[in-house]
Amino acid sequence: MTYVMSYRKVDGYVIERLAKIVGDANVLTLPHERFIRAASAAPFPLHRWDDHAPDVVVLPGSTEEVAEVLKLANELRIPVVPRAAGTGLADGAVPLKKGIVVDIKRMKNILEIDEENMCVTVQTGICNNTLNLELNKRGYWWPFDPASYPCSIIGGNMGTSAWSLIGGVSGHIRDLVRSFVHVLPTGKVITVGEGGGRKISKSSTGYTLKHLFFGHQGTLGITTEATLEMFPKPEVEFPAFFGYRSFMDAWKNALKMAKSGLRTMATHIMFDEWKVEALRRDDEAYIPLPEHIKAVIATCFYGTEAEVKGASERIFEIAAKDGGIYLGEELSEGDWASRHDRYHIAYHGRHTDGQVGTYSWHCEDAAVNYSAIPYVREKWHALVAEYKQKYDVFDDMGGFYYNNNPFKQWGDYLTEIDVFIDEYHLTEELWQKWVELKRKIAEVVLEVGGSISACHGGTRPGDVELVVGKELDPGVYEVMKMIKRNLDPNNIMNPGKYLLDSAYEG
Amino acid sequence: MSTAYTYKPWYEERWKDNWVPEEVAVDCYSTFACRHKFCREVCPVYQETGNEGHSSYSFHVSLLSVARGYSKLRELGDTFTYCLQCGACQLRCPTTLFTGDFYKITNEHNVLVTKTRKELIDLGFKFKGADGMIDNLTKVVNDTDAGKLPVAEWAKDLNLPETGEVILFVDYFMATQMTNILRLVATVLKKAGVDFGIVKDPKPVFTYELDYLGEKGVAYAKHNLETLKKTGAKKVIVPDPHVFVSLTKEYPRLLKEDPPFDVVYVTDFVAELIREGKLKPEKPVKKKVTYHDSCMLNKVSGIWNSPREILNSIPGIEFIDEDHVSQWYYCCGNGASEVRSFKTLHEDLSYRIGLKRLRRALDLEVTTLALTCPHCNEQFSEVKVKSNLNIEIIDVFELLADSLGLR
Repeated sequence: MTYVMSYRKVDGYVIERLAKIVGDANVLTLPHERFIRAASAAPFPLHRWDDHAPDVVVLPGSTEEVAEVLKLANELRIPVVPRAAGTGLADGAVPLKKGIVVDIKRMKNILEIDEENMCVTVQTGICNNTLNLELNKRGYWWPFDPASYPCSIIGGNMGTSAWSLIGGVSGHIRDLVRSFVHVLPTGKVITVGEGGGRKISKSSTGYTLKHLFFGHQGTLGITTEATLEMFPKPEVEFPAFFGYRSFMDAWKNALKMAKSGLRTMATHIMFDEWKVEALRRDDEAYIPLPEHIKAVIATCFYGTEAEVKGASERIFEIAAKDGGIYLGEELSEGDWASRHDRYHIAYHGRHTDGQVGTYSWHCEDAAVNYSAIPYVREKWHALVAEYKQKYDVFDDMGGFYYNNNPFKQWGDYLTEIDVFIDEYHLTEELWQKWVELKRKIAEVVLEVGGSISACHGGTRPGDVELVVGKELDPGVYEVMKMIKRNLDPNNIMNPGKYLLDSAYEG
Repeated sequence: MSTAYTYKPWYEERWKDNWVPEEVAVDCYSTFACRHKFCREVCPVYQETGNEGHSSYSFHVSLLSVARGYSKLRELGDTFTYCLQCGACQLRCPTTLFTGDFYKITNEHNVLVTKTRKELIDLGFKFKGADGMIDNLTKVVNDTDAGKLPVAEWAKDLNLPETGEVILFVDYFMATQMTNILRLVATVLKKAGVDFGIVKDPKPVFTYELDYLGEKGVAYAKHNLETLKKTGAKKVIVPDPHVFVSLTKEYPRLLKEDPPFDVVYVTDFVAELIREGKLKPEKPVKKKVTYHDSCMLNKVSGIWNSPREILNSIPGIEFIDEDHVSQWYYCCGNGASEVRSFKTLHEDLSYRIGLKRLRRALDLEVTTLALTCPHCNEQFSEVKVKSNLNIEIIDVFELLADSLGLR
């Protein structure tokens, strides 16, 4: 028997109750206020914009207000979608069943900087860069570096289990949060950490539930405060980029870098032939590389001057073993400094006739083991080429392969293909072609025993069916459903995500 | 100045309640296409309100929602009043940063905001504060046309000609409200032996707000440009960043004509004089100083070095700098207006933005905040009085004049 979900419509009464909680000025109902909060950063069906616009947006200012909003939604059975920066690439913040968007960006205060226990407590609406602007003044560093670093927000980073480019030295978001305050779908407020202490990094008491609230994509409630790791500001940041004559040379070399044992190495990133070619398209937008360079490895080091000096000498030796040529200070430092900004602008995508179109940048990610990268790379580029040729609304912006491992350089890689999509001119038919391409890209990953997403999440059409139907152990998905049904008895939190409506069937 | 910033003439076509031109829709889409919203965090208004709707991304996407039929212009409410037109967002936009030079395409947020406000007013969808904003402009227009503004008084004892290769140009604001600073600028130029003239009947420039005046605005712009041409100027020196943006960006866009002279900001000109040894600041000025970057200079015109160069040339000053990129995040709270538009629209918000900036300066443990913009000067002086913060607000030229022994 299928459980038919019925939600209450957001009407004048609901708006009135919400206003009592957060104040009139923080309840937004005008059309554009709702439509600007419909999309996150993944490809969006503009032709069906209305399907994803919420009925109302609230801007709470405290944990208590969030709890009251969730209690109300639970009582009246209204869908709630949390929204932080809206920069996620897995549609976590995209409403599937309208309802209330809880936008947490007013909650952005730093609550405590603890210089003795080296941690900082914040409201989760704070932006990564804003936090660092404050910490840097005092000689500290919040060492979390997603692609969306200049604008993404801690709460969203936690909800999507976000990934850090420099995870090799400081881990990813799940490694960088000691404890947090979380509002469950019923409005109950809990503090989750290692054992009971707010500032403890490792404990053996109780179940370790911390990771449950990373990557739930808003289906298990809203995190409102977090106690984060704080690092001493490193003495030195040293980016070094190397050019190779072929991707396979770079790939062979990457393994030597991975096994180097250099602990100050934050990452090594391979750029494939398609990526280098795409960057060459806009020669003023990128420092030109010599023609014989077909692939690049970008590395970056953080640490004390003495450590990094030693490591930099070693990395030059290693790069040279497979013909890696240092690309110079200007390119290395320039590209590293602009790493968050460069790769997602309109106007770089091209139609088959070479003309610039109204493309939006998009990145498909996966976690793939080192040994499988060459296979995945060939398959992915062939798929995008096929769809570009057939439909002329997609373009290949090349592939990146990043070290995916916290505190080490070996194992698996965040494997990414950047695809441009002409969203402006999409029709439903072309949108379905995109979902089909997306599914085929994901299938290749499962073929080689990888995971469909290393850093975004698996909640989008094209991904989600494969994640719950093929990638996850069926027993694991059963446990997910049990948890969801128990924590969210009325299925109000981000309903539809991870196909968890099925938890309420039967 | 950068040549990357090329305006698009999307002013020509008029909008309707449920329609914006395709060109606007495509440009708004290009911001939607990015969706990374770096513009949001750098915005001084958003930093205060925490409302995503008050960001460049959202302004663009709101208009895209009108273009797609999901919203109407009349439903935008007062959204477009939440903008200082400080230029941070359009500078921080990846489209500007990485395609500006190559494709000659940049984010033109400031122009879009003026255009939208103008269309809303003209269509009769008056946002909160619209009347006050227009009244402020109208008052200056009326006073100008009635000859009530003594725009040449400040120079009446200086014997400055109305022709020459070098012309010092200001409009009513500095000429009537920052006379002391303006006279110091003239004194410093004279001290360096610069032969320069002035324009004795300038019309208000109004920066981005000239468009609200329609034909009258174009007439003012034409008057100023033609008058400057008649002076025979090869170089026009401007001591007001808002006037500088008008001459270098807004006039060429509105009049579709590049001026036949160089427009130079006064600090660029004077820093050169110091470098050449024509000015020698020798008297020590014992102050602990930081510098506030004017938005119209730093963010819109890319000028940030020369004021620092001047401060560094003055003996005795302990200069504690905050770099110009960090200052993309700040504004004095007045924004781009010459007539206090943002203050009229959001008095409290404007005050909070200014207060935050002064507190940042005090974090650096300085006694003095130096600046080179008369509008920042006016705003900070007001915020200082209201907040009772203990910080000296001073123009770079006051410090320079002291060091040159000119006052």
